[in-house]
Amino acid sequence: MTLIDVIFWFFAAVTLGSAAVVVFSRNIIYSAFALLFTFFGVAGFYVLLGADFIAITQLLIYVGGILVLLVFGVMLTNKVVSVDIKSGTLNAGVAMVVVSLTAGTIAGIFYATEWKTAPAEMLQPTTAGELGTMMMTSYLLPFEVASVVLLVALIGAAMVSRRDRSKQEAA
Amino acid sequence: MLPHILESAKLFYPELALTIAFCFVILAGLVTRNRIFTGLAGMAGVLAALYFVSVQAPVDGTAFSDMLAVDGFSRFFKIVILAATFIVQLFSLQSAELKSRAMGTAEYNALLTALALGMCLMAGASNMLMMYLALELTSITSYLLAGYTREAEDSAEAALKYVIYGAVASGMMLYGISIVYGLTGALDIYSVNQALGSGQVNLWTLILAGILITVGFGYKISAVPFHFWTPDVYEGAPVTITALLSVASKAAGFAMMIRFFRVTFADLIMGGQETGAWAMLGGFEWNEVLAVLAVLSMTLGNLVALWQNNLKRLLAYSSIAHAGYMLLGVVTMSPEGVSAVMIYFVVYLFMNLGAFYVVMLVADKTGSEEMSAYAGLGQRSPFIGVAMTIFLLSLTGIPPTAGFVGKLYIFSALIGAKMIGLVVIGALNSVVSLYYYVRILKNMFLKDAAPGGAVFGLSVPEVAMLLLLLVPTLLLGLYFGPLVEYAQASVSIFGIPR
Amino acid sequence: MHLPVPIEYYLALSAIMFITGVTGVLARRNAIVIFMSIELMLNSANLALVAFSTRMGNDAGQILVFFVMAVAAAEAAIGLAIVIALFRNRETVFVNDMNILKW
Repeated sequence: MTLIDVIFWFFAAVTLGSAAVVVFSRNIIYSAFALLFTFFGVAGFYVLLGADFIAITQLLIYVGGILVLLVFGVMLTNKVVSVDIKSGTLNAGVAMVVVSLTAGTIAGIFYATEWKTAPAEMLQPTTAGELGTMMMTSYLLPFEVASVVLLVALIGAAMVSRRDRSKQEAA
Repeated sequence: MLPHILESAKLFYPELALTIAFCFVILAGLVTRNRIFTGLAGMAGVLAALYFVSVQAPVDGTAFSDMLAVDGFSRFFKIVILAATFIVQLFSLQSAELKSRAMGTAEYNALLTALALGMCLMAGASNMLMMYLALELTSITSYLLAGYTREAEDSAEAALKYVIYGAVASGMMLYGISIVYGLTGALDIYSVNQALGSGQVNLWTLILAGILITVGFGYKISAVPFHFWTPDVYEGAPVTITALLSVASKAAGFAMMIRFFRVTFADLIMGGQETGAWAMLGGFEWNEVLAVLAVLSMTLGNLVALWQNNLKRLLAYSSIAHAGYMLLGVVTMSPEGVSAVMIYFVVYLFMNLGAFYVVMLVADKTGSEEMSAYAGLGQRSPFIGVAMTIFLLSLTGIPPTAGFVGKLYIFSALIGAKMIGLVVIGALNSVVSLYYYVRILKNMFLKDAAPGGAVFGLSVPEVAMLLLLLVPTLLLGLYFGPLVEYAQASVSIFGIPR
Repeated sequence: MHLPVPIEYYLALSAIMFITGVTGVLARRNAIVIFMSIELMLNSANLALVAFSTRMGNDAGQILVFFVMAVAAAEAAIGLAIVIALFRNRETVFVNDMNILKW
């Protein structure tokens, strides 16, 4: 076992363990903090894989943005922790069987598949510069569309969550 | 690179017009609260986009490094999408439900144009990255618009359910995309097709990926079993948005799905089979998967619609059933089937928007969307009664309305593909649907109005709007030659030899 | 560059994480936990994409991951805004049970 193997298994344990806590914990605060470790674990994998730019982005966007947003959500609505948005849920036992079967099937299919890989000596560690060039050339259109998506989200989130002033005055 | 981008921008005028309108309406919203002004500005953007689509040279090509295909197929769907958006913008100017909300009218109008932009991009997307992004732009905008009248408490709840279902579906689709990427090393669907065609691809992995991606499409076109969000969102969202989701976003979903299956999984080198149908790669018949979805959608949609008393909910289930009929056209995997779907969409645009417009008028005047509000409508307001009758008969598919023509072409494409069993199921389903549509008619004409049910007249714009939808519904039932020719000429998908 | 960990390990990890997320969506009833589970699903897809991308020496996958992150941020913002709007309605307008629409 090389050092990289050890690191891999460490991150695997952190990621999967905390992912399980996110899903199965009864306490929403624990879930939110476990999610932090999942995001860090995934970022660790990105580093191991040599995707430096994506690893940094993962930290900035997921940990710095989305997670903070989720924690705000938890704090602002903590009185409705048990909001039911579904009337029925799966039986835990049935769920476990279904889950392990599906996960096993998918993992089995993945093992049996010949994935397209390049020989190791051809691989270059990607740099942010290369990705940046691609985003300004071949991927220019998605880049611009993403800016519209973010603008829509910005305006929309403000529209949905602010108080209607006229309503407030009436109340 | 720069010359290519500038060249591509010329093919991108319709979307550019929508983007500019989107930004303009947002900025205008900072200055004015006038809902008519921002509404008209949004409409101008959509009209400009319609103009640019219609003047585009009838040449097939791609733009922005194969991100978008600009071909007859995408032009046709863009016209349907933009026309539906325009009609819904007209509805929005009149809707009492929207007037009740003092704030955010500029945002509402801006988001409508952003939604149109997302849907147009979906119609042309020929790269899985672009498909995902366009789908998300459409979805995110739809969530917001569905929750627009959040003071009505069911609107916010509908929006929440919509977000959760949408996010899960797109997450599944993304996972499918990642598997396809792993198998082929490409994101644009032409390279994916080439890589798949060169063999050595594990079929089971590909099937898994295809099914995951189909979840995303199925959610967008609200096909069973991915329809769970549909009734609640349709009931909870403002009527205008419900109408738009039922027509335009379904059209965009179909356009994206047809392009994906046509290009990615079809054997482009071998060409067609003897029946004119496309040959599929790897011997896996995707149309059987789609056929199951189609039969489930039709049957479940029609059967559940029988028990509905809320008109919006009833039309939601009816729209699920219609997605099933249209899927039948895709199942044939032939140019006839695709052109039948396109014809169906034009017809569906008028008849379904018409039905929703009547629901909106009745809701604005009686404050109710329940079946009981329609009791005696035929006497209280004969014009609305007659108009609704025609829309409903057309939705059933009874001649001489346009709905009949739509179904006729779908069924004849199926017969051409020798799928008689599906024709029988489709016809039986139409009979079932007759029952619940006639239930509304019975309420309107045979029941007496509840005491105190007001007689209401219509203003001139309302009559004009009804006529705008009514005339094509009747006209296309009798004089449909040009539409059929145009649809058949527009089935050209870029990169596919005809 | 030395590549000790086979790509299948990453994929199996991503599959398990994906299914964990799906379980959360199916089994949990709290809207915010469901959003967290959705983030798990997206992260697992991203992990698979990055693994494929780096092992193939093809950067398109990493570009897709970047856009997925942008979209995920937008989606989370919208989702939480709607949760908060709903919460406020329930608190101030309607302190009833939350199932007005049938599920």
